[in-house]
Amino acid sequence: MILAISLVVAVVFGSGAFLVLQRDLFRVVVGLTLISNSAFLFIIAAGLTQGTAGFAQGAVPILPIPGGSMASDPLVQAMALTALVISMSTIALLLSLIYRLYVAHETVDLEDISEAEMRLAEALEREEEPEEEGEPDVGQAEEEIEKRSR
Amino acid sequence: MTGSTLLLLPVGFPWVLAVALALLDGRRSWVGWLAVAGLGASLVSAFLLVHRILREGPVEMVTGGGPAGVGIVLRADVLGATFAVVSVGVILVSLVYEVFVGVRSRTFPTLVLFLAAGLSGLFLTGDIFNFYVFFEVSMTAAYVLTGYREQDYQVRGAFIFAVVNLLGSVIFLIAIAALYHVTGTLEMAGVAERLREVNPNSLITIATAIFVAFALKLGLFPFHFWLPAVYVGSHAPVAAILSGALANIGNYGLLRFGGAILSEELALGAMAVLVLGSASIIYGALQAISRRDVSEVLAYSAIGQVGYVLVALGIGGAVGLSAAVVYAVVNSLNKALLFLVAGLRGPLVGAAFAVGAFSLMGVPPAVGFIGKIAVFKAGLAASGVVQVAILVALIFLGSALSFVYALQIYQRAFLSKEPQGGLWRKSSPWTARALVVALAALVLAMGLWPEPLLVLGEGAASTLIEGGSP
Repeated sequence: MILAISLVVAVVFGSGAFLVLQRDLFRVVVGLTLISNSAFLFIIAAGLTQGTAGFAQGAVPILPIPGGSMASDPLVQAMALTALVISMSTIALLLSLIYRLYVAHETVDLEDISEAEMRLAEALEREEEPEEEGEPDVGQAEEEIEKRSR
Repeated sequence: MTGSTLLLLPVGFPWVLAVALALLDGRRSWVGWLAVAGLGASLVSAFLLVHRILREGPVEMVTGGGPAGVGIVLRADVLGATFAVVSVGVILVSLVYEVFVGVRSRTFPTLVLFLAAGLSGLFLTGDIFNFYVFFEVSMTAAYVLTGYREQDYQVRGAFIFAVVNLLGSVIFLIAIAALYHVTGTLEMAGVAERLREVNPNSLITIATAIFVAFALKLGLFPFHFWLPAVYVGSHAPVAAILSGALANIGNYGLLRFGGAILSEELALGAMAVLVLGSASIIYGALQAISRRDVSEVLAYSAIGQVGYVLVALGIGGAVGLSAAVVYAVVNSLNKALLFLVAGLRGPLVGAAFAVGAFSLMGVPPAVGFIGKIAVFKAGLAASGVVQVAILVALIFLGSALSFVYALQIYQRAFLSKEPQGGLWRKSSPWTARALVVALAALVLAMGLWPEPLLVLGEGAASTLIEGGSP
């Protein structure tokens, strides 16, 4: 059982890591989702056997159940649930960031985006000296983006 | 006021207000000032908390009033409360700065408050999973904040930041699950106690995972690759928050987990920690010298500065740990001041920058001197003559290099006769400039009267040592 679960965790993590290294931003996000999911599997697996210190083998930190019936550890499930919600919100945020980049560049490929940014920087440089970010008249770059996104 | 109420206030004020302000338009100045008031209240309660802890010892409460081990434990000791005060203070100054300059997004004050709530919660918790939850609250707010102003490069920076740090969080989560697995508890004190009976082999893996997670957050040398891309594009107050407040997660996490919970594993890996810290100092300083842009230099300098904290941590013992705390506090003040100043133009800004630069180099009377002296003392306390010589040489070399790059950017940004890129075109609002001057004055004042800082550092070190190896 332990071997099977560790194999599953390793495979899921490995595929996630492979996807994170791709140039397509969507694949990066899918890879991150897989990596987070491998962590949840790991948390659940942490409850399969209890630690040797402090607890007797197989004991769970809940009140004793009458009749001596077995119970699984509820704490790891609560932890996995919490981590799941957190990861879902972060993934949603990442997707919205990708959408924002897509609107600006009409692509989700990392290389295309950095190329477009280089072109934009060069265009700005030709017109005038590059502006400091944060000044009220940064509008130049914003207009450029809007023009491109139309 | 009872201790447990006081413990909830630094987290409660920004949290409740953040939820309320999410419904309002943050671009209105009264909304911004409301957020400032909430953060101010949080800062004051954190100050009171520190005062109480110094008088009466650590404050602890269990949520829901249950016995310890059932409810979630919130616990404030000198270390956590000190970091809470510094981080909330830096966030407060950055928020006030942005309100003076003009908030341009309706969510900005809410996000800053969420970040402050997450950070102070993280510093004041006594439960490792709760630590992770608060950590994610502040990180998620920080991902969104990095994209503030929505320039293309800022959105891209936010994406990089989120992807890399999410990986770090997953590694940390796995380490927490492993800690729970081997100890059967999530309470920090309980974990530290039960770890002594655990097989050391598995503990080394766990300790490495935790170290990697926090090193990624701090941007230490081999894990630094994301940091310049994120800091360079960020809007000045956002960069100040990221570097001055959010990076404290890494410092605090390394001190709490390395100094107290996994202290034996830290001692075992001390050499690796020292080497990585030294590499960070040298690499950050050399890269900073070779860059031209002010924010880029500051970003690389941030990589170098956290190296000192790591070196102090690697030396360990009461002297090393207190030096690490003092240097972390000093560094967050320096970075907040420098990043904020880098976004401003006009009279007096150069003076404030000079104070920040002197503090970065460790020239008295700025507070940076106190930090450098603390690390220097820790270096002398290291075991072995060769080690002492190497560490002392390293600290001198690092300071000398920081001298070079700090003066370089000062010269480029504030002394050049022909301003580049319309640098002097328009002064920033005088209120924002007054704010950074006040922050610079604080940096000077703390350098002239370092007593409170040193007391806090020693107090934090002694709580770590008592809690770690009883």
